[in-house]
Amino acid sequence: MPDIAFVKPALPKTGVLVLPLTEADPPAGLAQQADEATGGLLTRALEAAGFKGRKGQSTTLWALGPWTKVIAVGLGKAADVGPEAAEAAGGAIVPALSADREATIATDTLPPKLAAAMAFGATLRAWRFDRYRTKEKEEDKPKLERLVFATPGIIAAKAAFAPLRAVADGVFLTRELVSEPPNVLHPVEFAERCKGLERLGVEVEILGPKEMKRLGFGALLGVAQGSAQEPRMVVMTWRGAPKGKKQKPIALIGKGVTFDTGGISIKPAGGMEDMKWDMAGAGAVVGAMAAIAGRKARADVVALVGLVENMPSGTAQRPGDVVRSYSGQTVEVINTDAEGRLILADVMWYCQERFDPRCMVDLATLTGAIIIALGHEHAGLFSNDDELSQRILAAGAGVGEACWRMPLGDAYDKQIKSDIADMKNVGGRPGGSITAAQFLQRFTNGKPWAHLDIAGTAWSGKDQPTIPKGATAFGVRLLDRLVQEMGEEG
Amino acid sequence: MLKVGFRPPPADAALPRIVPVREGLVPPAFAEVARALRFTGKPGEICEPAAVPRVVLVGLGAAPARHAVERAGAAAAARLHDAPQLLLDAGDEIGAEATAWLAAGIALGSWRFDAHRTRDIAPGPQALTIVTRHRDAARAAWARQEAAVRGCLFARDLVSEPANHLTTRSFAKRLEGLAEFGIHVDVLGRKRLTRMGFGALLAVGQGAATPPRLAVLRWRGRFAAPPVVFVGKGLVFDTGGLSIKPAQGMETMRADMAGAAACAGAMLALALRGSPAPAVAVLALAENATGAESYRPSDVIRTASGRTVEVVDTDAEGRLVLADALHHAAGMQPRAIIDLATLTGAIVAALGHHRAGLFGNDPPLMAALAAAGEAVSERLWPMPIAAGHRADLDSDIADLRQCVPSARGEGGWAARFIPDACHAAAFLRDFAGDVPWAHLDIAGVDTAEEAHPLGPAGATGFGVRLLDELVAMRFEEPDHHAPVARAGLTV
Repeated sequence: MPDIAFVKPALPKTGVLVLPLTEADPPAGLAQQADEATGGLLTRALEAAGFKGRKGQSTTLWALGPWTKVIAVGLGKAADVGPEAAEAAGGAIVPALSADREATIATDTLPPKLAAAMAFGATLRAWRFDRYRTKEKEEDKPKLERLVFATPGIIAAKAAFAPLRAVADGVFLTRELVSEPPNVLHPVEFAERCKGLERLGVEVEILGPKEMKRLGFGALLGVAQGSAQEPRMVVMTWRGAPKGKKQKPIALIGKGVTFDTGGISIKPAGGMEDMKWDMAGAGAVVGAMAAIAGRKARADVVALVGLVENMPSGTAQRPGDVVRSYSGQTVEVINTDAEGRLILADVMWYCQERFDPRCMVDLATLTGAIIIALGHEHAGLFSNDDELSQRILAAGAGVGEACWRMPLGDAYDKQIKSDIADMKNVGGRPGGSITAAQFLQRFTNGKPWAHLDIAGTAWSGKDQPTIPKGATAFGVRLLDRLVQEMGEEG
Repeated sequence: MLKVGFRPPPADAALPRIVPVREGLVPPAFAEVARALRFTGKPGEICEPAAVPRVVLVGLGAAPARHAVERAGAAAAARLHDAPQLLLDAGDEIGAEATAWLAAGIALGSWRFDAHRTRDIAPGPQALTIVTRHRDAARAAWARQEAAVRGCLFARDLVSEPANHLTTRSFAKRLEGLAEFGIHVDVLGRKRLTRMGFGALLAVGQGAATPPRLAVLRWRGRFAAPPVVFVGKGLVFDTGGLSIKPAQGMETMRADMAGAAACAGAMLALALRGSPAPAVAVLALAENATGAESYRPSDVIRTASGRTVEVVDTDAEGRLVLADALHHAAGMQPRAIIDLATLTGAIVAALGHHRAGLFGNDPPLMAALAAAGEAVSERLWPMPIAAGHRADLDSDIADLRQCVPSARGEGGWAARFIPDACHAAAFLRDFAGDVPWAHLDIAGVDTAEEAHPLGPAGATGFGVRLLDELVAMRFEEPDHHAPVARAGLTV
């Protein structure tokens, strides 16, 4: 990861210069100086290259003036430049800098906050997961070590960047958890990595099968029973609310199936390798806790993740089994591949009973149907609480993690009636994501709750401005923003 | 359609009788039996406390809401389906508006489609006598309801017809029959469609023995203004074409013209109640058949708009015929376009059978549609058209492709799942131009596998009452912002 530095505006004598430029405006500040220093060559070269400053546009000019490389990156129209555009521009320059050790970014005409946002975007994009590459050639590895942002407001930029850096660390933790292969990251290992949050001041409590059996987590344990790997539930507590302003905690809950074969209702082989990221909900929740604790959020937050591996075997749960959940409600298991909701059911009931939270927000790669419904640009949002919904939609829009609200209702709930138990775990193909959410709603005990189905947004098949192809860590920034807006206001 | 008459009390005829009951207000005569049957008047409750003559009590709840009252009426009609005549005893507690809602529920619940039975026909109730003290008010309220109910039942009849009876030609003929209600009907055949360049509609229909048609229905209304336009998908049968559907369930594809039927039913409703709003329906009628002439996956077709489209899957034909119909509609510079189509299986996976998908480019229009749907219990849910949905339709060879090929495991787990309803909406948006437009994907709600609250299993007529309500809410005053409407007032 490149180091980020903020320095007083001055053109570098040599090396790489990055110029973030707005659309249809003449260069100002350092960019103008650079243009003058090259005798107007810069503007002429940009014009020749068709560079207009549009959002997402970038152009590299080689050997211009004293610089080996000048990269112009578009911010869009000046009036619309906000954190999102600055982050995207920051992300966009990273691939162009992979062979360079250092670059100076002329953010002198931007407010310090946006210089920080650009540094944040670059940081997010520069992450890569190369733990398992042993033969990558030295020249193919990215060299970038340091990004220097020129800004007149060094102190303000540093202050704005510090919490963003904590959020980036949360994002990286999540991306790493999601990227790890399932033979490495099984429930026991996942729980161990949660322990790492203790150094940020998070209390971490791990429950194994014995404890969960004693409690009566029949739904979660039913899913786990086919695997050689023991299940875990991890409870993470962050007490950040100032003394005298104690509040009910905000609860975050994550689905953590470290690998999902589907169990006896086994999945088709094509694409099954992607099921290592069926723990992305839990991954996001853990990353969000790292972000929240890392920036010392002044709010009380608890996070619970249910960690299992879903395997077919002689001991595996069967279609037709009836399990008793921790809530006492019984579930007929029709499809062992609808296991996420079984895990969440026990974790959610435990959460609301033990913590009586202000609200519960669960994240889960729950259904393929949510991709059929919405595609990959929105997560599905289901909630029994309009105000909480609005806050989540706003938080997601604010950080580029968009959600789309989906319906709930009695008519859908009827689809999960069982002939033999209180409910069954699937409601058929029609409205598949909705019936999954209806199932979860039965384990909220009426408390304010929202469910984010992130099956379409947890993994990206292509590079995005601030997200390299692969694990997106969708939800980390959203949850962090939600806690900011809900827990730390006033 | 049920004949409805009104009479003042007393309700003395010896007919099977429907008695609506507000919660806790069971008539004293039936109090004892009702108690034994645990009937208190809650919504959804129904009981039969007397056999000669038959009496059916239906619960309306404490503060009767329209949807609960309609459902109560329909439930009573279903219970008394073997009676040729019914009496509705509205009593003192039920106002004129609620009485009309009950009648609407009874009429919808009495509907059956028996055109192709030759024996053991149970025709259901033919006449309803309503006993009410608010006779004139109730009659007036019913007159407003009746139009939409008749429109709905007209659509149900069309949707129920099998495809050997409802061909593109006979569908057009039945639409021409709407002329008797003051609707101007123009049916464009193959020659005119060819001349006008309707390449998409023609391509979809070219494999079938009966030719495609574009039916344009016009209701003048009472003020001169640009019309609101309904656009309907009217695939009288959809085999899928060369991308043929699996055999199982293919018989349900006779209903693939439910969008067009709903638009036609809405036009009938507007005409029957003499709506002041000018309205047009543009209905694309075709049969998607397999044959030597069928269009192929990979064909590139030129739509009426001039845009070229690469065909990926001949079973995504609905968006093609709608592309031409939408372009035709947009050319009328309408106040709004609303298209209805049984378009995608994806919308069923997304929303199931309890809501239709609502897409569009105009939030106020979409909000009005959602509100109209709530009012008449034809519920919608807004769905997104994201930038990526349109980008997915970029074609290597034409202006756009019609859908995204299925991946079958290539490209990872997620590639198995395609947001086809969103893709279809993104596709259609390109053909609606700058006009305020909304698209209702009704694939999950056009027919019901089992009896539903307002009728038996089969066609629901979804969309007719919704469109009628929308027009009543939003389009029955001239649009003072539209320059064309102002000019029109002087005509």
